[in-house]
Amino acid sequence: MKKITLIFCVVFAVTLFMSSTGFSQNEPVTITHWYWADNPEYSATMQEIVKEFNATNDKNITVVAEEYPWDGGAYSETLFRVVMGGGGPDTSSFKLTSTPLFTANNLLANLDSFIENWEDKDEIEESLYDTMRLASGTDNIYLMPWNTQVLYVYYRPSMFDETGVSVPQTYSEFLEACEKLTRDTDGDGSIDVYGFGMRGSTGGHEPWGSFIWARGGNFSDFTTEEVVAGMQDFIDLFENGHAPPTATMDGFQEIIANFKSGKTAMTIHHIGSSPGMIETFGDDVNAFPFPKGVDQWTSMGDTENVMLESCGNKDAAFEWLAYLATGKGQEKWCTVTGNVPVSKTVQQLPVFQNNRFMKVSIEAAPSAGIFPVLDSTTEWISTIWPNTIAAALLGKTTASEAMQQLQKGLYVE
Amino acid sequence: MQRKKIDLSPYLLISPALIIFLAVVFLPALNAILMSFQSYDLRRPSKIGFIGLDNYIAIFNDPLFWQSLWKTFLWVIFGVGFQFILGFVLALILNKKFFGRGAVRSVSLIPWVTPGVLIGLMWRWIYDGNYGVLNDIFLKFGIIQEKIPFLAQQTTAFPSVVVTIIWQGIPFFALMILAGLQGIPTELYDAADVDGANGFQKLFRITIPMLKNTIYVSTLLRIIWVANSVDVIFNMTAGGPAYSTQTLSVYVFNKGNALNLGYASTMSIMLTLILLAVAILYLKNIFSSEEE
Repeated sequence: MKKITLIFCVVFAVTLFMSSTGFSQNEPVTITHWYWADNPEYSATMQEIVKEFNATNDKNITVVAEEYPWDGGAYSETLFRVVMGGGGPDTSSFKLTSTPLFTANNLLANLDSFIENWEDKDEIEESLYDTMRLASGTDNIYLMPWNTQVLYVYYRPSMFDETGVSVPQTYSEFLEACEKLTRDTDGDGSIDVYGFGMRGSTGGHEPWGSFIWARGGNFSDFTTEEVVAGMQDFIDLFENGHAPPTATMDGFQEIIANFKSGKTAMTIHHIGSSPGMIETFGDDVNAFPFPKGVDQWTSMGDTENVMLESCGNKDAAFEWLAYLATGKGQEKWCTVTGNVPVSKTVQQLPVFQNNRFMKVSIEAAPSAGIFPVLDSTTEWISTIWPNTIAAALLGKTTASEAMQQLQKGLYVE
Repeated sequence: MQRKKIDLSPYLLISPALIIFLAVVFLPALNAILMSFQSYDLRRPSKIGFIGLDNYIAIFNDPLFWQSLWKTFLWVIFGVGFQFILGFVLALILNKKFFGRGAVRSVSLIPWVTPGVLIGLMWRWIYDGNYGVLNDIFLKFGIIQEKIPFLAQQTTAFPSVVVTIIWQGIPFFALMILAGLQGIPTELYDAADVDGANGFQKLFRITIPMLKNTIYVSTLLRIIWVANSVDVIFNMTAGGPAYSTQTLSVYVFNKGNALNLGYASTMSIMLTLILLAVAILYLKNIFSSEEE
């Protein structure tokens, strides 16, 4: 009897030890992942990635991907509310700008130890990890890089030929091109083609930033002469009629629709729009980096993935995040969406090397940066920037007054 | 002495509704009042705490609050005013007998049964400065020479959203007034005919006085709904350009979205108090005229 009791105790102790030390990792684990998709094709792609991961991972991990609309950034707010309420996913797609909100409330898992022990760590540029640290305002990494988008200028080569405009090499040449490309093509006295497809609504701060830097300004102080000069250039483009009169309310959909319909000759967006551009124009569309003036800057759009602090199985969750960052998930997502991969190996694949828009993205990458990621940034982007800019474009405030309002709105005391 | 037996059944019957009311209306409202006395910005959780009347002082010093309040006033006056006038006219027409009246009555309800979000998106495209059908029609009829960016300039954005809310609310007034019209005894009109009254006299001496209570109640309800309405404006302009279409409700929504819940709560308390004052004045007027 004593012997049986002893055997039972040993078996029990070993089982307890194994389960507590992770030997039970092949137990089925379910990870819930949230993401957004810009169109049905992207949506299907994510589901395929999930299916492939579930079928191929040898750790018995099942990812359940749930799609929520981006809705002009409302995705991040929805995620925040759900997680604050005690629910939400284990992992989620994410944007840098939301980092302070989530870290201030201790909602994100620190990825430092996971990345440190990750064999593919060096597949991603160190500078990207630095950007992730910068966004958190700490020395820790809370965001797993996934893909980036560098803004550049789309243009119509045929329109450039018709007006004798060459691809601008400098900022002043760019402003001249905006003027020359603005035309009354049918002679009825009204403008049919505008040189520049300006984005004055939400999200327009990114292309606008290029004007600020081209005049020698930066985002640490919006009240300097250089920044005001950049803002004045932006206003002049609108007031002189080189941008559509609807620009104050034009967002992503409008600038793309205007460019595709031939209403604008140039517009600023990233590679994510390129499949649609090629479908519409074939070879009659190309791109160039926003040209240098005194300085050069373009916005680095980003999409990351995060692990929520509330995640019950962080090892499994990291397996999934790693698959998206450097595995087949990275390759498939970037191939379909046209986004710039963060994995060095994936970047070298022919599909990316032979893409003319990818080349421009890579060319523009050295001057790409982000806006200050502060707790005021999201409100500044969604409400303060569009309304302040609209007032300036419509002549209600001067460039200088507008910049003071933007300074006050972003750098809240 | 025999104790009086208390009948609990009325309390039991009312309790489900009461519990739901307390959970979804009373408690959130109480929470909003408490939040209005706090610095409650989820972006700055370390600063959450009681701040007394600071939020109230801040909104009184906030020019955007006053501008939004003024816009709310215009939004309600023009929105509800024209909804009422046009709804009244529609009700008078629908009260007449004509071929296909049933179909017209059904069709006229469409704006009222369409969700506000959909109305906002639909009118946004109707007004679109590049591809909108309104510009197209105006151009074809020679009313304008160049397309108007209705929602992109301050002078036209606010009137444009007001027209949309008018369009949405006309059927509500038409429906309420039509129901009221059908309750007026025809003998009154017959007597007026015998006395030789003309159409205007019948309208102002019989129809409107008989509809007085319907008009009061429906207008009060609509004032409250329109003042609180966010969906139409938010989907058309989000309050822009340059805050020109930002009513107080939209401002509250924007601040709430920015997670500054203390400030948003304070503004919503102010809006509630203003609407409460309007409702009290309104109801007082109804009861005093009834007593007369």
